[in-house]
Amino acid sequence: MSEVLEVSGLSVDYLLDRGDVRAVDDVSFTLDRGEFLGIVGESGCGKSTLLFAVAQLLAPPARIAAGSVRFQGTNLVGLTDGQLSAIRWRDLSVVMQSAMNALNPVKSIGAQFKDAMKAHGKPTGEEIAARSAEVLKMVGIDPVHLGSYPHQLSGGMRQRSMIAMAMLFTPDLVIMDEPTSALDVVAQRSLMVQIRELQLRLGFAVIFVTHDMSLISHFSDRLMVMYAGQVDELGETRTVFDRPLHPYTQGLLEAFPSIRGPRVPLKGIPGNPPDLARLPAGCRFHPRCPYAVERCAQVAPELADLDQALVRCLRRQDGSLN
Amino acid sequence: MTATELLRADHLTRHFKIGGALSRRTLHAVDDVSFAIGEREIVALAGESGSGKSTIARLLARIYSPTSGEIYFEGTPVSRIRSRRNRLRYSGLVPMVFQDPFGSMNPVFRVQHGVLRSLKLHRRELSGAQRRDEAARVFDVVGLGADMLERFPHELSGGQRQRVGFAQALAMRPKLILADEPVSMLDVSIRIGLLNLMAELRDTMGVSILYITHDIASARYVADRLIVMYAGQIAETGPIEDVLTDPRHPYTQLLLSAVPDPRAPLSVAAETDRGEPPKVIDPAPGCRFRWRCPLAIEKCAQVTPVLMELLPAHDVACHVAQAQASAAEVQAPLIKETS
Repeated sequence: MSEVLEVSGLSVDYLLDRGDVRAVDDVSFTLDRGEFLGIVGESGCGKSTLLFAVAQLLAPPARIAAGSVRFQGTNLVGLTDGQLSAIRWRDLSVVMQSAMNALNPVKSIGAQFKDAMKAHGKPTGEEIAARSAEVLKMVGIDPVHLGSYPHQLSGGMRQRSMIAMAMLFTPDLVIMDEPTSALDVVAQRSLMVQIRELQLRLGFAVIFVTHDMSLISHFSDRLMVMYAGQVDELGETRTVFDRPLHPYTQGLLEAFPSIRGPRVPLKGIPGNPPDLARLPAGCRFHPRCPYAVERCAQVAPELADLDQALVRCLRRQDGSLN
Repeated sequence: MTATELLRADHLTRHFKIGGALSRRTLHAVDDVSFAIGEREIVALAGESGSGKSTIARLLARIYSPTSGEIYFEGTPVSRIRSRRNRLRYSGLVPMVFQDPFGSMNPVFRVQHGVLRSLKLHRRELSGAQRRDEAARVFDVVGLGADMLERFPHELSGGQRQRVGFAQALAMRPKLILADEPVSMLDVSIRIGLLNLMAELRDTMGVSILYITHDIASARYVADRLIVMYAGQIAETGPIEDVLTDPRHPYTQLLLSAVPDPRAPLSVAAETDRGEPPKVIDPAPGCRFRWRCPLAIEKCAQVTPVLMELLPAHDVACHVAQAQASAAEVQAPLIKETS
């Protein structure tokens, strides 16, 4: 399979008065055509910043400090707005967390679809109407809603129409930032199933950011776990769920109560994620890690390939933790 | 229930007028809902957004008054509480913890401000020094150090702020805490700590909690009983393990099938249900779930189902489930005779 995206050594800084804060630190990954990559982590781990950096949507005080984002061979870092807008929507589209804020409240859904289409080429009115109706049907909304305004739609329908809008040009990559977090479980599940169906049918690649690991367990091909701006673990989704290697990944998985099986007491992960401006020395997770040894507080681990997954943990790498 | 009854909602109903001044349309946020909460009990109130669960919390907190129906707290009708003193007493016994730990605290005051203020209002017998001692004590109970009292809200993490919310509630020596989605805005790794705290408050201090959530798995983790709401009405209620292992209402079944669980295999029948909440504006009689229900029969469009006890302490408002249960009852003696 060919690569649609190659991110290498990407770092993002927030330039603040009290000094620069590195929110994304040396992140590299590739994405194949038609692949679904899930990115999970807690608030402040840099997952949304990473996503914005990939889509080239960062605004000051955030700035890409190093690295490249190669999309279909072109490095997006450093492109002008004009060059980027040729790619946006057409080849790469973004679905934001809150559709209520992402959609224009004073324009009908159809008018917003029209704007996006007119930004790329000169489609006729019929072409616009036909394509708009087609993508809405694709996500299961009656095309009569092209005349509706965002407030007239339910939360689920708004998210669906955002996804429909992202489908207007059959892009190669769709970037999604917690698109289901405002929805109920039933609506959430149905939207996930639909995203996956569309993806398998149309063949676009997906980067899906969420804080809810269980949500993507059945949908993503590969899973990337982020902690404090870095990748802690990256591997096949099923493998990571079945045998998580990084203690943080383990902790996240054990923090979910289940509706099945025996009721077991859970502990969660003690402490809080670190302040990125005051990172602990050594491994960034060691203050919260149940397996930490003295060395973890001194040596910062690299991301190493342990066959089944890439893992950033000293004790996994030297085999002292099994 | 074996527990002594603490609070009872009796045919509780709350309607809202919507539209302009001339509009006659009403939104039935909560319609004829009855339930009880015992002492030392965590009751989970689950349902999708718009199902009326937050309205119930606000009715119990007396932020709204019911359109009809009554709430009894320790046997006394809450609508009869009129004097300022008694209203304060009630809100101290039944305090609320809010969803948003970032919006529920005044950013210009230290976190002790809220605790000390509610102590001053609700426990007037305490001196200034006693109030500070009491604040330190409740902070200790929720797992925060006394040094936290001096901090400003922005210095605290989301999980710590929610603990402050519970400390504030505890300072008033409550009997029932109304917790409206208290963990939904927290990170996954932090949530469990708060859920464990809720269980601990019940077990060690005997506080009851109404835990409002859309997360069934977390409800199962802490709650004793579950109430499933749909479109302003109770669809199913019972001891939580019984409801989860043997859900009888089709909505409960749908809800449970949608809970993401990495440990379970993906059900191949990817349901076509869109998860659209129903409109409860001027509803006609009939079951409100019938448009989404795979089992709906003709009766469902004509008669609103009422809660019936189908299993011990396990009530379901569904015509089909009720018919199945009574059919099983008729058959049961036959089996006995033949065996």
